Order: sequence, then structure tokens, then C-alpha cells
Amino acid sequence: MTQRIPRLGIGGPVGSGKSMLIEKVVPVLAAKGYSISIISNDVISKEDADRMRKNLATDRGLLPENLVIGIATGGCPHTAIREDPSINISVIEEIEEKHPELDLIIIESGGDNITTTFSPSLADYVIYIIDVAGGDKYPRKGGLGIESCDLLVINKIDLAPQVGADLNVMQQDAVRIRKDKPHVFVNCKNNTGIYDVTEHIIKNLLFDSPPKIALSDRQR
Amino acid sequence: MSIEDMHQDLAMMQISDSFFPTGLYANSNGLESIFQNNKKITELEIIGIIKMQLKQQIGPMDLVVMVNALKFASTKEFDKISEIDMKINSMKNIKEVREASKRSGIQLARCVNEFVNDEILEKYLEFYKKGMINGAYSVSFGLCANALGISPQKAGLMFLYGFIVSIVGAASRMGITQHYQAQKIIHDLKPLISQIVGESLDKSTKDIWQFAPHLEILQMHHEKMDSKMFIT
Repeated sequence: MTQRIPRLGIGGPVGSGKSMLIEKVVPVLAAKGYSISIISNDVISKEDADRMRKNLATDRGLLPENLVIGIATGGCPHTAIREDPSINISVIEEIEEKHPELDLIIIESGGDNITTTFSPSLADYVIYIIDVAGGDKYPRKGGLGIESCDLLVINKIDLAPQVGADLNVMQQDAVRIRKDKPHVFVNCKNNTGIYDVTEHIIKNLLFDSPPKIALSDRQR
Repeated sequence: MSIEDMHQDLAMMQISDSFFPTGLYANSNGLESIFQNNKKITELEIIGIIKMQLKQQIGPMDLVVMVNALKFASTKEFDKISEIDMKINSMKNIKEVREASKRSGIQLARCVNEFVNDEILEKYLEFYKKGMINGAYSVSFGLCANALGISPQKAGLMFLYGFIVSIVGAASRMGITQHYQAQKIIHDLKPLISQIVGESLDKSTKDIWQFAPHLEILQMHHEKMDSKMFIT
């Protein structure tokens, strides 16, 4: 029987930095020897999938090109990850069948803070990403995405002064809304906070398991 | 109405509801390709496209396959189910359409298998795991309808209704139609659905055909599109 490969769901509004976060996290995980596949649920195009394929696979060889997959969701990205994740599950099962050596499957999907959450049958660990440019009220507004995710990532902290956002307010609201669940401030542009995000993934999703294929064996 | 009839109707409602997880909402069945070429599609043109698909493709091929799969499941003729699954897979000329059919078909069968015990459905899923069948949507649908005790006639109505809703739903999401207009289109197509189902119930696997080259060319274009919302 095919073994389930740990699945990481990354959701967030358009422009919040989901793809950029993946482009930053994957090299760190790959350097530690983890093998990864990426599924991008795009609302309109396969642009994000194509960009990640070029940046991570074609240019840097961190994963095979055919393991970056774009899925069209008929204009319903929420549905595709929540109440009817059948398309995603079907693609993931094909990946699991063909690539049992993988350590992690990342599923990216756009979606607003009110409704975005991943079906537990689809993702084992969920990151929801927002950005400072949306205003410091964002964490306070709550919603399924912000409240229910395992890790809240607040991106573009360098823009706080420009948009008049107070990071302390965001910090306090995130703690209050999410109770004991963690959040991380990041700036994907200069890698601030990226190491923390990968540590959360390794500890809380991969449970500190070593890569299935050791880096030394892979390089041989 | 007997309790059995009510159960059959409830099963029909459940499986034809858009809440049922088969991913059909992500299919436009070629409509997106037409929309990309001509952003001014009229209501009449949408109806024309759906009618063409019903008469030339879905009706004579998918529906007849579904009804026969249901009948073979009821008589436990698994070899014939396997054969018809191969047949429809070979008749779906466009890879994108073939793949979408398999994915929705297997997800449908798995979901029904979660809450119904049916020997044929289980065997079908086992064969799929072994790579011995394709899992085409119309075959899966027939097997699921049989497992849920739904008659061929009601299954046929559900099958075509679900197909129309997926196209009209896609039209609404692309902004081609508005919600009242979408319901009117569905309403106006009811006579054709009834007629095609009525004509298809007694057809055998030898009667299966499809001929919609214009539509297939559009589906080929869709396969190559860089920017798209829909799987087909």
C-alpha cells in the first residue's frame, strides 16, 4: 500500500507571498536533504507553478521539473482545498505512487482569510500567510485562515513603515486571536524569518525525521 | 411512495448535488476555450454548445456507457465493466479530457465506497489500484448508482443534469451568464435531457459512438492554453 507523504498546505490572499515563501523554504529544506514536490492551485493561470519550476527546478536543480505541478481549480480555489479536495487528492496519490521517496508535498492555494482552510484529508500542516501591506488590522480580523492554521506567517515586514502598520499591534493581535498557536514575522526578500518557518515544518510536520534518502547517498 | 423509493431519491439528490466531491466544478468541457476566443458568447450559443455535446458526445457515448456499466454491475458481470471502461477510455481522444474523467471517476467511486458496501465497487477500486482499469467517470458513475440502488433512468437524468450544471456553472464563473439566466438555460434543456435519457436506456455497448470534431479541436486548444481557470 502507498504510504502517505507528509503534506504541507500553504494558503493566503493573492500577492501575500505564498510562492515566494515556497521559493525560500524549499532551498533550505533541500539543503538538509529533503525531497519535495509542489502543487500550485492557481486561480487563473499556471504562472506561479511555471515560475517555481524555473526558479527551483530548471535553474537550481533542487527538485525535478515534473514535480512542480499546476492545477486549475475552475475559479474555486477554496473548494479545491476544502469541501471538495478530490482533484488535489487525486494528483497527490499519483505522486505518492510514482515517488515514494519524497519527504514532503507542498500544496499552495490562494484564498482569503475568511474562508481559507485545508481539508484534513488534504493537508497535515497548514501555513496561512498574510502581508503587512494589508494593514496592521489583518490578524485582528481573524477568520478561518488566520485562526485555524498551524502557523501564521506575516510577510513583508519591511513595508511596515511605508504603510503605517504597527508590528507590535500585529504581534499582540496574533497572540490573542490564535491563543497558543505560533506565528512568525518574515521578509521573504531578505530571508528574515525563513529559517524559523522551516524549523516549524521540520519539527511539527516532519517530526524531525531525517530525509528518506540521505543527502550523501543522493550525491553519490 | 415506498421507503425504498425515498431512499433512492435521496441517494440521487446526494450524488447529483454539487457538494458531492468529484471535482466537476473545475470542468468547463471546452467552454473556456470558446470564451477565450470570443468573449461575447450569447445565451443561445451556450445552449447550442451544450446541445451539440449532449447529442454528439455525452449522450451517445458517456451516457450509454454509464447505463450499461450500471446494468453490468447489477448482474455482476465484471468482465464487461472492465471492457466498457477500456472502450470509453479509447474513445476519449483528448488527453486532458481523458485524465479529468479518470480523476473524477475514481474520486466518486472512493467516496461512495466509504459509505456503501458493494462488492463490484470494491473490486473496481482494487483493479484500479493494480492498474487494470482506467476508472472512467461514466463507468464509476454507473457502478455507484447501482451500489446506491438508483434506477438506470434516474441515474441517466442525474448524469446529464450534472454535466449541464458543470458547463453552466463554468459559464457563470467566467461571467458569461448571470444566475437567473443560468437556471433558465438548465430549465430549457430539460426536454432534451429527458429525450436523450429515454432513447439511451436500451442501447447496448455496440451502439456507443461520438462525433464532435469541432468540440474536440476546441478541447485540444484548451489543453495548450497557458492561462486557464478550468481543467477541461
